[in-house]
Amino acid sequence: MATLRDLKRQIGSVKNIAKVTEALQTVSAVKFRKAEARVKKARPYADNIEEMMRDVASKASSKSPLLVGREVKTVAVASITADRGLAGGFNAQILRRTIRFREEQNAELKQVASGRKSVSFFKFRGIELEEVFTGVSDSPTYEKARELGQALTKLFEEEEADEVYLIFNRFESALTQKPVVKRLIPVAPEEDENDDENHEEDSGSYMEYVPDAETVLKRLVPRYVETMAWQAMLESAAGEHGARMTAMKSATDNANDLAKNLTLQMNKARQAQITSEISEIAAGAEALSAG
Amino acid sequence: MSESREERSEGRQLFCRVITPEEIVYDGEVDLVIARIADGEIGVLVNHAPLVSSVETGEVRIKEGEEEHVYATSDGFFKVSENLVQVLVEEAVAPGDINIDEAETRIEEAERELSELADQDEEERGPKERELERRRRMGENLVRVARRYGEG
Repeated sequence: MATLRDLKRQIGSVKNIAKVTEALQTVSAVKFRKAEARVKKARPYADNIEEMMRDVASKASSKSPLLVGREVKTVAVASITADRGLAGGFNAQILRRTIRFREEQNAELKQVASGRKSVSFFKFRGIELEEVFTGVSDSPTYEKARELGQALTKLFEEEEADEVYLIFNRFESALTQKPVVKRLIPVAPEEDENDDENHEEDSGSYMEYVPDAETVLKRLVPRYVETMAWQAMLESAAGEHGARMTAMKSATDNANDLAKNLTLQMNKARQAQITSEISEIAAGAEALSAG
Repeated sequence: MSESREERSEGRQLFCRVITPEEIVYDGEVDLVIARIADGEIGVLVNHAPLVSSVETGEVRIKEGEEEHVYATSDGFFKVSENLVQVLVEEAVAPGDINIDEAETRIEEAERELSELADQDEEERGPKERELERRRRMGENLVRVARRYGEG
């Protein structure tokens, strides 16, 4: 059985851990609120670009590979995780989803990693990385999203990849982040995904494209990819802080529970010690008076 | 205040939103929106035909009664649909918010990097060059708009 001193030391260290996790929780809560506000403020832009992409794609008559795709020999996938851990299953679920995605493909694979956690994961697994983006998972910049977007568009344009996917945590709330797989190029909507969305057929309205739908499309695609990367990075950042906040809250709760249990044990041990001391003294006194 | 607002809004239903990846910069009821799109300058009044185009680096002017709002914008997209004009650009800065020194540093940096690129081979520098040129253009645009519309 643990001695009183051991227990005291343990309680001390558990309480220290609780202090650290609580501090992390507070910091994450602040960052989370900021990141959440950023996601919300960024949505109108992303929604509009996405809608425009859908409209133009349905109007453009071209059989441009950017739109309709080409024979798939190589698939590029970009996985977005956080730079740091201590966020519960946040990073692991992206990496698991990526591995499953890779297993599902009947094509050669090219991996792009954003976030230190995914970089180290893929390196550890011996998966070669085409491009690496780190240092901004905490607070993404559009600049970084553009780099990622351009890298992905380039892979397609130089025919190094015939399809480009993005895997990231969609932010739902502080408690839930859902890993999603999104196809970026070709931009034509994936059939199976569209069933439940049912966009009203762009209201059949007439829309003029200046100078023409093809030209707009050509300019729009890279911007669309960038924007989707940007949105994904922002959602991931909000998810990261939310997940860390939640993880740290339960860590703090656990540490406090543990400290409580240990304190109980310590009190028992102390009482046992006192009891045995008293009985020793009593026994000693009895022996003396008997003698 | 509320009276004049009602008066002004009478018979007018054109709306304009200037949106960047970070936020909505402008959102309101307007009389006229002027921008430079793919085939030249365009002025959009109420009941304009639906249209999608790109906008060039330059300025977007929004007229609302006596007031005029100007934004220095990077390139992007322009959409008119059902009396809503949407300008989707990476950057949109009001003249009063432009920091000329910063914009000039931006031009200098872009130019320096461009000159460094000059001795790389064609294939390597292509996209980078375009990006840097864009950045320089936007820097120059900021300076120009600030000088023209900025106070003092």
